[in-house]
Amino acid sequence: MIENLGFIIAAYVAVWGGIAVYAVSLARRRGRS
Amino acid sequence: MIETTASPFPTIRLRPWLGILAAAAAILASWMGLVWAPTDAVQGDVYRVIYVHVPTAWLAYLAFVVVFLASIGWLWTRRPWFDALAVASAEIGVLFTGLFIVAGSIWAKPTWGVWWTWDPRLVTTAVMFCMYVGYLLFRSLTNDFERRATRAAVLGVIAVVDIPIVHLSVLWMNSQHQLPTVLRAAGAPSLDPSMGMTLGISVVAFTLVYLALLVERMEIERQRQQRMLEVRR
Repeated sequence: MIENLGFIIAAYVAVWGGIAVYAVSLARRRGRS
Repeated sequence: MIETTASPFPTIRLRPWLGILAAAAAILASWMGLVWAPTDAVQGDVYRVIYVHVPTAWLAYLAFVVVFLASIGWLWTRRPWFDALAVASAEIGVLFTGLFIVAGSIWAKPTWGVWWTWDPRLVTTAVMFCMYVGYLLFRSLTNDFERRATRAAVLGVIAVVDIPIVHLSVLWMNSQHQLPTVLRAAGAPSLDPSMGMTLGISVVAFTLVYLALLVERMEIERQRQQRMLEVRR
């Protein structure tokens, strides 16, 4: 069992998830403009 | 009088490829960081957060250096393209700074025992985040395009001072944060080669993501500039 797996996964999900949400928001803003 | 929003540089059609390349690099970097890279002898596996924490920090620095250069470009040439570059890079820099604070906080809990502490590196980073959020808010104070771009450019030139302060804060002050492991004056990076390679691939992946987001965000800003210029005519 990998120690601190929850922290590792949380960091990756937060960073890549944050970037993905921003990318989607850019696509939506572009669609509106 | 501003007549054009066109780029002062030759443009290459990168947009469709850049997004695909960035996504592929992100998957490769995540696989290397989570699976391929060896476990650290001291910290164990939790050190793997480094592969998202450090690249987001460097890309935040890069984004704000681009704001600085674009601000100089606007003040020098009065070409709206530079203002579009500055605002696009500032917005992405704020995103990356926020993400590197969050990733650092998640790393701090199992290693330091706290989510946050009033450490010089953390505080100077929080100040940098607030400065560039302020930069984005400052832009909304006026609707006059040239006045807004000029005021923002002056702020963009001044705010860059915080980047060396953030990076060198761990050397200048007593800090709980570890010293620089890669960008350091003492010589070669103090990292295992396979860890260094994983970090290098992660930096490339985040750079491609930054460029893909930058191109998209600039396009939105340039469309807005064109509408503003049409209203004026």
